[in-house]
Amino acid sequence: MATPTEQKTPSFMTSMCFGTIEEEQILPYPKTRPQDVELLKNVITSLDQLLKPHEKDFRAWDRAGEMPPSMIEELKQFGMFSLIIPESHGGMAMNATCYSRTLQEMAKYDGSVAVTVGAHSSIGMRGLVLFGTDAQKQQYFAKLASGEMIAAFCLTEPGSGSDAASIKTTAVKDGDHWVLNGNKLWITNGGIASFFTVFAKTGGQAERGNMTAFIVTKDMPGVSVGPHEDKMGLRASSTTTVHFDNVRIPAANVLGEVGKGFKVAMKILNSGRSGLGGGTIGVMKKLLALGTKQAKDRTQFGKPIAEFGLVKQKLGHLVVDCYATESTVNMLNHFVDSGVEEYAVEAAIAKVFGSEAMWRSCDEMLQVAGGNGYMCEFPYERIMRDARINRIFEGTNDILRLFISLTVLNEVGSSLKELSDSLKGIFDNPIKGFGVLSDYARRRAAIATGVKREKSHFTKLHPAVQEKGTLVEELTRDLAAAADRILRKHGKNIIGKQFATKRLADIMIDLFVLSCTLSRVSTAVQDKGAGNCTKELEILEVLSGQVRRRVKSNFNKIDDNDDEHIKSLANHALELEGYAWDNI
Amino acid sequence: MKILVTAKRVEDPESKIKVKPDGSGIVPEGLKYKINPFDEIAVEEALRLSAAHTGDVVVVSIGTKDVHEQLRHALAMGATKAVWVNHTGALDQLAIARLLQKVVEKEKPDLVILGKQSIDDDQNQVGQYLAEFLGWSQATFASKVEALDSDAEKNKQPGLKLTADKKGLTVVREVDGGLSTLECSLPAVVTTDLRLNQPRYASLPGIMKAKSKPIEELTPAALAVDVAPKLTVTKLSSPPARKAGIKVADVPALVEKLKNEAKAF
Repeated sequence: MATPTEQKTPSFMTSMCFGTIEEEQILPYPKTRPQDVELLKNVITSLDQLLKPHEKDFRAWDRAGEMPPSMIEELKQFGMFSLIIPESHGGMAMNATCYSRTLQEMAKYDGSVAVTVGAHSSIGMRGLVLFGTDAQKQQYFAKLASGEMIAAFCLTEPGSGSDAASIKTTAVKDGDHWVLNGNKLWITNGGIASFFTVFAKTGGQAERGNMTAFIVTKDMPGVSVGPHEDKMGLRASSTTTVHFDNVRIPAANVLGEVGKGFKVAMKILNSGRSGLGGGTIGVMKKLLALGTKQAKDRTQFGKPIAEFGLVKQKLGHLVVDCYATESTVNMLNHFVDSGVEEYAVEAAIAKVFGSEAMWRSCDEMLQVAGGNGYMCEFPYERIMRDARINRIFEGTNDILRLFISLTVLNEVGSSLKELSDSLKGIFDNPIKGFGVLSDYARRRAAIATGVKREKSHFTKLHPAVQEKGTLVEELTRDLAAAADRILRKHGKNIIGKQFATKRLADIMIDLFVLSCTLSRVSTAVQDKGAGNCTKELEILEVLSGQVRRRVKSNFNKIDDNDDEHIKSLANHALELEGYAWDNI
Repeated sequence: MKILVTAKRVEDPESKIKVKPDGSGIVPEGLKYKINPFDEIAVEEALRLSAAHTGDVVVVSIGTKDVHEQLRHALAMGATKAVWVNHTGALDQLAIARLLQKVVEKEKPDLVILGKQSIDDDQNQVGQYLAEFLGWSQATFASKVEALDSDAEKNKQPGLKLTADKKGLTVVREVDGGLSTLECSLPAVVTTDLRLNQPRYASLPGIMKAKSKPIEELTPAALAVDVAPKLTVTKLSSPPARKAGIKVADVPALVEKLKNEAKAF
């Protein structure tokens, strides 16, 4: 069995990569606790009252490119910055489920408002919640809850985006202080924040990856912010540069351990993903409301366009995308709330799938609206502009795909005693260890393709969805085989093989989303009876068909692909910096 | 002063309401619920008066445990405590007024404010019944002179005003063609119209505080009220769908249609 007993429990997807279905991790589908339902209903009622009167303003603020201070003030008064702060410090003490759902409701109204609140709670002050000392929490929680201090997360720099370990901002110890120097870029809430979670190198310029997280406040001499950035979307939210010029930070403001800043950053980004996932669901629900209304109101060829197949196709796919994303994000929230420790891969999957499903939905609903969709008078174009960044920020989907595959391989490798040494630090030194891992993976895959094994089958599904369970079992064997095949093909060069790594990630994304949706529908049928779940069963039917075809296709592409030609053509274009075949 | 207000649970008018095929009621699936908007105005007014004159606001609702949602919302807005009359099943206006009468006799407020009607049944009877049963003065359809975008409203000034001796209440009422102002002695029953105030929303800290505020449970039996309905709803039906209009070529054609088809004159 792949599960090593002496180690922490591997994540659901890690197990799956070795042909194991840890069904008790996802079945029965988690239910929202009654106290959370009650809290959320109250919060949503109030939120509607707060945001509905501003619906026209959101459009105006988007055009103006700024949200007025009065709106920020209103958000503060409402308590919007207190969502994840403990009750004892004046906060709402929301768990991931409630937090995610609250962000979902906000995203239905306006991306800029949602990201202002989200950047504060999801990442700006998340480090304080996760790593803060009691003294630090005592000092800042109440002010952050009231909005007296708004928080921002400062990692990205002009020369350091996805490659976060390459930051140039430095902090040098000087007595009981650290002296901070450097520049941060694209900082959400930069212009309104007074609490900054800042990452700086603390191992000198030469030592890559040795960084530390600090709490920096606006009142410290040497902190300054640049002008409001002019952006494609989320235009009313504040995005600025932040500069640190010989800022003296008390040693007590170190967040987490000195030198462990990279881990701090990654943990913050992981746990912040429930908020982003919630946002994507909110946008899709909003789009479905807009698109269905538009389809019924708009008449062409003598009937509402809702009656045309190609319009129905778009709406139907949106329903499936929305349900699948919700199933996945809620599962992720459940992992977080129930104390599951290993969920980074699943969080990344939720972010990638949700942001892409939302993007598809924006595009298709704008298409349903036709020319109206392209007009600024209608909300589609703003929603689409606001949505685009979700595939870029908090980890680009490209980087996350590599992260999804490589983490699983790395985790499984390092969880095995005999391999842990040779695989240590796979990201820093990928050359080592993959030969051994490849042998191991081959062995595992051989078992995975075997007929009856412990934990290779679902036993807790409702009979009405058992057929789909069998499909997931089959695709799980494909996944294990794919991991094995990719490693065997590329061996120690896997780190450089991004096409192949992405394929494995895509298979994993599909399988996790389908597993979550399967669990949700199975539990719904169990609770309500199949007769009351006909639409859910249809959603599962569509999704499982999509996933089956995509996984098979990705699996086949491991050996049958155009990767080398595509690379060659890219290299050709890179050399020319353009196109070679103009016809005049 | 102690004020008692009501918070009836009603269907959110923005959710899509469908009548069951057999006409026995509405389809409950997918519906959202909220405080009756007129009651919400009553809660707001009570909170303003209690802020100006200090005192408690008690909020009452009748129904299954679902009404806790509305009670908690009123508590989150700032009410001091809640009374829940636990009852399952239909109630007519008479029974509701009798139940409220008993709650009022128990709580002994100086003033009762409730919505002039609830937006589900649109009966507009409970306030009047209640004043009669209690033998109190009543003022229906309370409004105010100041507009909802006035400074008075922005400063959350109450529209109901205590008289100088604090023994009476001045109420501006909405009547056909204008406003009438009347003065009534306390205790009194006031029902609210739409333009009395703009209700506040419950802030998140308010929602947290509301969690620990008490909800007292009562039952019709404990209040010794016979709630057997004297009035029953036999059937609900949707209004007939509107037929599409037609375009007429010119004024004479319009006149012809009005005269001969619509028989307007």
